Amino acid sequence: MPAKRHAASTASAPAPSTTSTLSSGPATLKTNSSVLDITSHVWQQYLANTAQRTLLLDAFMAFLVLVGGLQFVYCVLAGNYPFNAFLSGFSAAVGQFVLTASLRMQTSEPGSGSPSKPSSKGKNARFADEDTEEDTGISHERAFADYIFGSLILHFFCINFIN
Amino acid sequence: MHMWQATVQFCLLASAALPAAAASAWGFTDATVAVQPKGAGVNSGFKESLSVSKPLSKPVALAGADTLRVTLTTQEGSSAKRPHQAFLLLKDSHTGLDISYPFTVKENGKSRVELTQKDLPIQFLSLPEPIDARVVIGSSGSSEAYDSSIFPLSIERNPDVPVPTVDVERYGKLPEIHHIFKDAATSPPIVITLAFVALVGAALPLLAGLWLLLGANVNHLSTAFKSAPLPHAIFVGSLVAFEGIFFLYYTSWNLFQILPAAAAVGAVAFVSGSRALGEVQGRRLAGLR
Amino acid sequence: MRWYLALLVSAFAAAVNALSSSGSRLLVVLDDTTDKSAYSILWSDLEGRGYDLSFESPKSDKLSLFEHGERAYDHLLILPPKSKGLGPNLTPKNILDFMNQDGNIILALSGKASTSSAISSLLLEVDIHLSNDRSAVVIDHFNYDTISAAEKHDVLLLERPAPLRPDVKAFFDGEGVLALPHVAPQTLGSNSQLISPILRAPATAYAYNPKEEMPSPDDIEATGSQLNVVSAVQALNSARFVVLGSVEALEDQWFSGSVKAPNGKKVPTVNREFAKQLTGWAFKETGILKVGKIEHHLATDGEVAAEDMNPKIYRVKNETVFNIEISEYSYDKWVPFEVPAEDELQLEFTMLSPFHRLALKPTVRTETSAVYSTQFTTPDQHGIFSFRVDYKRPFLTNIEEKHEVTVRHFAHDEYPRSWAITGGWVWIAGLWSVIGGFLAFVVVWLYSAPVADKVKKTQ
Repeated sequence: MPAKRHAASTASAPAPSTTSTLSSGPATLKTNSSVLDITSHVWQQYLANTAQRTLLLDAFMAFLVLVGGLQFVYCVLAGNYPFNAFLSGFSAAVGQFVLTASLRMQTSEPGSGSPSKPSSKGKNARFADEDTEEDTGISHERAFADYIFGSLILHFFCINFIN
Repeated sequence: MHMWQATVQFCLLASAALPAAAASAWGFTDATVAVQPKGAGVNSGFKESLSVSKPLSKPVALAGADTLRVTLTTQEGSSAKRPHQAFLLLKDSHTGLDISYPFTVKENGKSRVELTQKDLPIQFLSLPEPIDARVVIGSSGSSEAYDSSIFPLSIERNPDVPVPTVDVERYGKLPEIHHIFKDAATSPPIVITLAFVALVGAALPLLAGLWLLLGANVNHLSTAFKSAPLPHAIFVGSLVAFEGIFFLYYTSWNLFQILPAAAAVGAVAFVSGSRALGEVQGRRLAGLR
Repeated sequence: MRWYLALLVSAFAAAVNALSSSGSRLLVVLDDTTDKSAYSILWSDLEGRGYDLSFESPKSDKLSLFEHGERAYDHLLILPPKSKGLGPNLTPKNILDFMNQDGNIILALSGKASTSSAISSLLLEVDIHLSNDRSAVVIDHFNYDTISAAEKHDVLLLERPAPLRPDVKAFFDGEGVLALPHVAPQTLGSNSQLISPILRAPATAYAYNPKEEMPSPDDIEATGSQLNVVSAVQALNSARFVVLGSVEALEDQWFSGSVKAPNGKKVPTVNREFAKQLTGWAFKETGILKVGKIEHHLATDGEVAAEDMNPKIYRVKNETVFNIEISEYSYDKWVPFEVPAEDELQLEFTMLSPFHRLALKPTVRTETSAVYSTQFTTPDQHGIFSFRVDYKRPFLTNIEEKHEVTVRHFAHDEYPRSWAITGGWVWIAGLWSVIGGFLAFVVVWLYSAPVADKVKKTQ
């Protein structure tokens, strides 16, 4: 991430950096790879190319999926009484997941050892571009503040609804 | 016995002036009861002679389309005579229902009456026990009238044909109604609930373990507190306070208690948050994140 | 002067108290005033019970049931006229109007002369039918008075009637034998709830026109207990109409006479007592129900405070108590009303159709009234409900009470809290672990330093 930041601030071309990270990744896939190979390759790529901070964020999202999933399974197994408790407990997990996903979109950036050129032309590229203009873009901290604001409101509604 | 004699004497006295009256009793003779199935000959089917003094022991069965015929000769004393009243009276002792069918009486006392199930009131059709069939013979004057049971009549119905019912509305008590409440929702077995509570609770340590595995740390805490101690402490503290207010709201407070508190903590969090996050941004721009 | 007037008024009020619950003006319509003497005991009995008797001939021009559109009399006793009909002032319509304005009527018939078509059509209005030729007499060769009707058997001797049904209150019962000469029989239509027989002929009785030599089977329309000697109609406004088949039963001669059934002893008649029961019922001295206090409230252990009485609004599944106080008028006083053994006073809790229909049980008894109560849970359905007591029974005036209340849902703070429901614990735990995870995540996000190798690698 710092590398990217430097690159962005110095307005140097990101291309060399990305190609180097790509080459430093695991061996490329062959066209006739098995499903297992593809999966493990994707997993390796993910581990290698994701910033540690984003990994922590992903771990939190996995936790939310787990908590939400458990609540849903319980509802299916044991019935939905009291239904409002189910709705608020489950939607707290889902809502928190959605908010965290938004935070991830706003803060994980292609620069920090992130994907290849094509993907930098996607959404991440937009954030990267906006990051280049510090005054008008959404900074990570601003995104985080929004995230906290949204989360508090979500918690308030869920607590209100769980009775 | 004495009474009866007195009555007879009295009647004799009372009717002395009336030429036709005789101090005797009404009765009948040559009585038969016959049940004629529909379409059969006159003398086919059940036939039994009746006695003045003793009713038949077995019930006379009257089925669907059969015709019941009672013939007799009315007598005053021992001479055949036409009375004013010669009825076949059907009476149910349980319900007290009664209905009479007049005999067609000739001048010489020969009488007959016919009836089918169609002639009966529908209340009689559903009675479980045989009806008491009586003969009533009476006339003006002093002769004692005759009213005695002559045979039990059982109404036989095809069980497949429903008994017609009469819906007469009468004021009276109505059947009670008790509202049927919806079943109260029940909680699942506590074991399942506790198991899932444990699973959900275990997710939090699992998250902590995963973070440690990924190398999460709070190493920047000292850095952050060195550069901006107050804003960081207040910001994190206000977030915890927010959740604490929510917890109080959950347990005891109402909306109007939490709103001022949340407004105060929110303002503090906003001010301190902008400072603290400014520091975080500084670290990020410094390449430390 | 003033106290004297007050004394007079109170004395008058006392006199008024000791009689019918609905007024004392009784008009007797009888053919000519000479008939009057035959019923002198009846008149003195009625006057003794506080009635103001007026006698009018049906032919009289002065006879009018109404004055300025209001009832001129409270009660009407019509004796059978010898002439045809009741004249222009007593048309069936007038008489029904009189009933519609809560006037009570006793119509006496006689089998001695054929009944006029005006009376027959009046009776048809209330679904009471006379025999086709309107001149039939009830004959019973088993229950007749051997002294006065040894030949014709047209003086019926009957026991006073038992209760009509086990669940109906008896107003005409008692010991003794009634003598009913020359009864004009009535048959009742079967579709009206308003008519009830008071006295029926015995099973062996039959009706025939005595002018004919012999009754032919075709002429016999109704027999036995289908023939009514005395019948009653109580209109929906509780106005009463009694048809008495034998006017002669009210004569002095039969009030004090003795009769003897075939094979029976010579016994005095109880016609006088029966006449009191009959006129008392018809002129609203008996069988009058009055509703006192109606109270409903939430079920509590102790006393109910006045402000909690008869609330306008209940919640679903509230335990609710309903009380109704009922008095019955019996000749000269209000007494506690007792529901007959097999009958029930029922409360309905209704929204369009009854959700509850419950028996009200007597709880409190005062000197003049009985309080009937029940307790029930309001249904789990919100809406506008009403407490209804609809008590209509033969021989009793109608009670129709309707009290609307609102039944509301649980308010938001009346539900059990989430932790009180074990089924919700998982979701509560889920919510709070999400919040806990969020706080931990905030700390991690703010203060986690990048891991060294990653930093090295990206740099």
